[in-house]
Amino acid sequence: MSTHSDTHEHHNTPGLQHQFEDMKQQEDSVSIGMWMFLVQEIMFFGGLFTVYLVFRSQYPMAFAAGSNHLDAFLGGLNTLVLIVSSLTMALTVYYAQKGNRNMQVILIVLTMIFGAAFLGVKAIEYTDKYNHGLVPVTGLNKKIKEEKTAGHSVGHSSEHEKPCYEVDHNAPVVEHPNPKGEFLWTDCSLAKLGLDTNTLTVAEKNGYFSNDKIDANKFRDKVRIFFWIYFVMTGLHALHMIIGLGLMAWLGWKAFRNTYSSEYYMPVEMSGLYWHFVDIVWIFLFPLLYLLGRHFLH
Amino acid sequence: MQTQEAIVQGLAAEPKLNYLTNGWTIRSWLLTKDHKRIAIMYLISVSVFFFIGGLYAGAIRLELLTPASDLLESGTYNKVFTQHGILMIFFFLIPSIPAILGNFLLPLMIGAKDLALPRINLLSLYIYWAGGALVLFALMQGGVDTGWTFYAPYSTTFSNTYVMLVGLGIFINGFSSILTGLNFIVSIHTMRAPGMTWFRLPLFVWAHYATSLVMVLGTPVIAITILLLALERVGKIGIFDPSIGGDPILFQHLFWFYSHPAVYIMILPGMGVISELISNFSRKKIFGYEFIAFSSIAIAVFGFLVWGHHMFVSGQSMYAGLVFSFLTMVVAVPSAIKVFNWTATLYKGSISFDTPMLYAIGFIGLFLVGGLTGLFLGAMGLTVHLTDTYFIVAHFHYVMVGGQVIAYLGGIHYWWPKMTGKMYSEFWGKISAMLIFVGFNLTFFPQFILGYMGMPRRYAAYPEELQVLNIFSTAGASVLGFGLLMPVVYLGHSLIFGKAAGDNPWMLPGLEWRTASPPPTENFEKMPVVTWEAYEFGEESGLDLEGARKRDAEATAAT
Amino acid sequence: MQNTSWVPLFPEQASTFAWQVDLLYVYLIVVSVAFTIPIVAAVFFFAIKYRATEKYATPDEMHGSMVLEVAWSIIPFVISMTIFLGGAIIYYQQFTPPADSMDIYVVGKQWMWKVQHETGQREINALHVPVGRNIKLTMTTEDTLHNFDIPAFRTKADVVPGRYTYMWFNATKPGKYRLYCAEYCGLNHSGMGGWVYVMEQRDFDNWLSGNVSGQTPVEAGKDLFENKIGCASCHAGGPTQRGAKLEGIFNQDVKLVGGATVKADDNYIRNSILNPASQIVEGYQPIMPTYKGQVTEEQLNSLVAYIKSLTPNAAAGMTAPAAANTATAPATNANSTPAANKPTAKPLANSSK
Repeated sequence: MSTHSDTHEHHNTPGLQHQFEDMKQQEDSVSIGMWMFLVQEIMFFGGLFTVYLVFRSQYPMAFAAGSNHLDAFLGGLNTLVLIVSSLTMALTVYYAQKGNRNMQVILIVLTMIFGAAFLGVKAIEYTDKYNHGLVPVTGLNKKIKEEKTAGHSVGHSSEHEKPCYEVDHNAPVVEHPNPKGEFLWTDCSLAKLGLDTNTLTVAEKNGYFSNDKIDANKFRDKVRIFFWIYFVMTGLHALHMIIGLGLMAWLGWKAFRNTYSSEYYMPVEMSGLYWHFVDIVWIFLFPLLYLLGRHFLH
Repeated sequence: MQTQEAIVQGLAAEPKLNYLTNGWTIRSWLLTKDHKRIAIMYLISVSVFFFIGGLYAGAIRLELLTPASDLLESGTYNKVFTQHGILMIFFFLIPSIPAILGNFLLPLMIGAKDLALPRINLLSLYIYWAGGALVLFALMQGGVDTGWTFYAPYSTTFSNTYVMLVGLGIFINGFSSILTGLNFIVSIHTMRAPGMTWFRLPLFVWAHYATSLVMVLGTPVIAITILLLALERVGKIGIFDPSIGGDPILFQHLFWFYSHPAVYIMILPGMGVISELISNFSRKKIFGYEFIAFSSIAIAVFGFLVWGHHMFVSGQSMYAGLVFSFLTMVVAVPSAIKVFNWTATLYKGSISFDTPMLYAIGFIGLFLVGGLTGLFLGAMGLTVHLTDTYFIVAHFHYVMVGGQVIAYLGGIHYWWPKMTGKMYSEFWGKISAMLIFVGFNLTFFPQFILGYMGMPRRYAAYPEELQVLNIFSTAGASVLGFGLLMPVVYLGHSLIFGKAAGDNPWMLPGLEWRTASPPPTENFEKMPVVTWEAYEFGEESGLDLEGARKRDAEATAAT
Repeated sequence: MQNTSWVPLFPEQASTFAWQVDLLYVYLIVVSVAFTIPIVAAVFFFAIKYRATEKYATPDEMHGSMVLEVAWSIIPFVISMTIFLGGAIIYYQQFTPPADSMDIYVVGKQWMWKVQHETGQREINALHVPVGRNIKLTMTTEDTLHNFDIPAFRTKADVVPGRYTYMWFNATKPGKYRLYCAEYCGLNHSGMGGWVYVMEQRDFDNWLSGNVSGQTPVEAGKDLFENKIGCASCHAGGPTQRGAKLEGIFNQDVKLVGGATVKADDNYIRNSILNPASQIVEGYQPIMPTYKGQVTEEQLNSLVAYIKSLTPNAAAGMTAPAAANTATAPATNANSTPAANKPTAKPLANSSK
């Protein structure tokens, strides 16, 4: 083919890019490309999973304590939401192959609604952490002046004397003083109970104790590591989700313009791959962060 | 006409739009989808970073002329060696051959119009610029002093320099690497011309395939490591800070998990170039083609398993050390196989000593030393003595400069006629190659001795008894620096005054030589159909050797 | 040159590991040369013998040889396994301190080494050990990573914050051997060195009980200042100077951060060593660590005597007139002995770095 007839052929085939000879080559290329991209994303999240696993195996009690302060119901709800959104996404691909414009658009919108719902639930969770002093960065928690609290205030918040409050899980939540918006681990029931040193790991034996007594500050530091990992992993995941929503918006617009048909539906399929990947990452995140070590009965 | 017919008829190339003349506006360059233009833009950018990194190297060697820290304060010296490492590794060595020669040649070698994903290619260039600009900005603000290895807790807690800004620049730049690798993998799978089977591919392509696997799989891990480092600095998390329960060794594991495969990202493309040079300048098929191809893949795979050999004295367990040492020995074997195969290729060849071939022969010697000293460092009992000394510095400069940079320069010289359509001065090319070889050895061989004597690395001041060897090293560095600057002059000169190269100045069988120099934007007038095996230098691969001999005779008669 | 080894390219062999490591090194050099020479020779030989005699030649095809490929895969692999074994044997020894080792504790910190013997004796940037005994170092760091490196013993180990790391050796030859920090740790990484002193058992016992024979207090103080305690690394002048100049300060008025002015008398010097944070000279950073608990009273006296000796006529009680507000130029030599014939002592006020 000379250059001239080449262009002619390309104009006849919708969506065919100039560097490809035919649609099959293009489809193969974008497919391999998207899979390689997802493999790379797996390595990216894999690093974080590794860090999580290293610390969980070193400080299981602190991580279990952290897990208990995540809302497993909301997490489970989000899991369900994402799984259903993957269903609507898969159906979108099906209808794109069929060239059914209306169903495509409806399903893309539904997928976006579920995606937005996921992000909304995440926002609720993050706000909850903000309110309870569980964000591991000083200043990013709700600042509560000392006078506002009723009882329970013990000492002032200096670096070395942060108090450790008993939390009764059946009683209403009590707000503790937090003038600087610090990370304020409030549940020391585990620490107060006195840990059975036979079940502790080597790292825990060094990490929770000072002078052979449980050190609330040191325990809190390990819980803080849990929350850091929680925020970084779910935050990165949410970022990918937001990108996914943007992708869906673009896809929805193109679908509305009837771009996709049985001859040309790869962008839908590739977007579907991305969406499923984001879903699968959550499927791993949820049990590891929310469920491991959880006490369902207090 | 640039087709086979034209070559057969002995007609000179007609002036026609080539990729350089096809559009003169800045816009046509900055928004191009042409892999060749992207390669040229990479060439310019990468050379800038090489130059700046080289200036830092000069400062290091000048300071080390005397035992005391007199030219540079130790704080400044710490920044200088850190920035030398960062610029050279992330902004020169890793992109150099893949982003320049790989981008330019891969589609030509497989007989395609372009890479599979041209816009991704352009994005990868933009990302490289963004990351590079950020790092340069950070350097101007005051730079970093953590060492290119960013070990915690110094980098997380103690350093007062612009760690996060530089980290962000490297993080961004990583995606440039990932996208290039991704593009290459896809293209090699789907864009090969009819008849171009996997085992007819030039070994340059195999090398880039293996490199791309490492780029795609390894780079995300350094990305997440840098991200965690930045978060630790900002939020004082405690992932790497032991006072809050973190683990500095975890940083080292995460860091080296990428950074060891990274060295294979650097050397594999160089080996690909050498395979091309040795074969083509001996006019003989590479000996053991499949073995070289598979050993590239083996190096890429095994390269992921040996990261712990950077951590033998770090406090990791003895058993981990044993495993990593064993695997390090294993990963050396494929490289040895390559060296033997290259040497065997020369046997009964028809060898010409053009400048690229000088670089290739230099590579074999220098890579041999570099690789063998890697065995020294993989041997555990010995490496305890050699770790963190100048022996390490000498080892990695032998493989990275003596290996990769030599291969890069050889490749640039070899494909210069194809990329620019001009021939450079062979005389100056040879002089410069020899100066580089001599200067390089004089710079780095004394450092092996210094290392065994115990001189630690990253030292601004050292004991007096080590001064003589340091003086040799600095003397060598001046020769090396001069030798490296020479190509800028004569290659630049050739752009304006060089002789026209013609399509195939050496009458070589690779597909890149079957089109004009410089090639047209769409690469081939007519898409090739491959019916010959790789590295066939005779007429059966469609080369018109008779015609070339006739033309040569006419040219000599005319003068 | 510090080393007197018969091979000038090797550090002295001063531990039980040293000859083994050197042997493995030599073996590796032999292997390397054994591979390099034939390959380089082959390359040169082929390059000359098979140089192109005609342009565009087409030599006979030769695709490969399975026999050769297998041979040059297996043989290098086997050789690399011997290297691995040799290395592993030495490494195993390096990693298993004998049970009867004498324990010494090492703490690295930016930028010095603090060593403590079991009997309580402390040292800075120095390690005294008896010859022929197994010594095990239990080490950690107060801040960043460092590495305790003794090339003459062919061993080193990182020190890691938050945990202990270990290394051991058995010194075979009395003498003085260099100690380096071999893990980059910031500003004064290259200055964080010292000496390991290997002594006969009797001399070591002497040393342990504090008997430093035959030195005057000023000589002892100079030795402490320049070598054993390492004051010189910050106070000696030159580009690494971080601490106040001590030449000529005795009995001068010193301006402190916060405005107060004190006289630099015996007590001032003593207090600067034991509690430096309480009196920072104006224009300097509060980075001097305290040496409380690390110097004996006897050593304190020696140090004060030495610092006094840096001011001419100090012993006689005469002091030179202080010139106000003159900036002092940093000394250009690393030696702290005051220049002879300097008539005026310059005050420390307004000296900036």
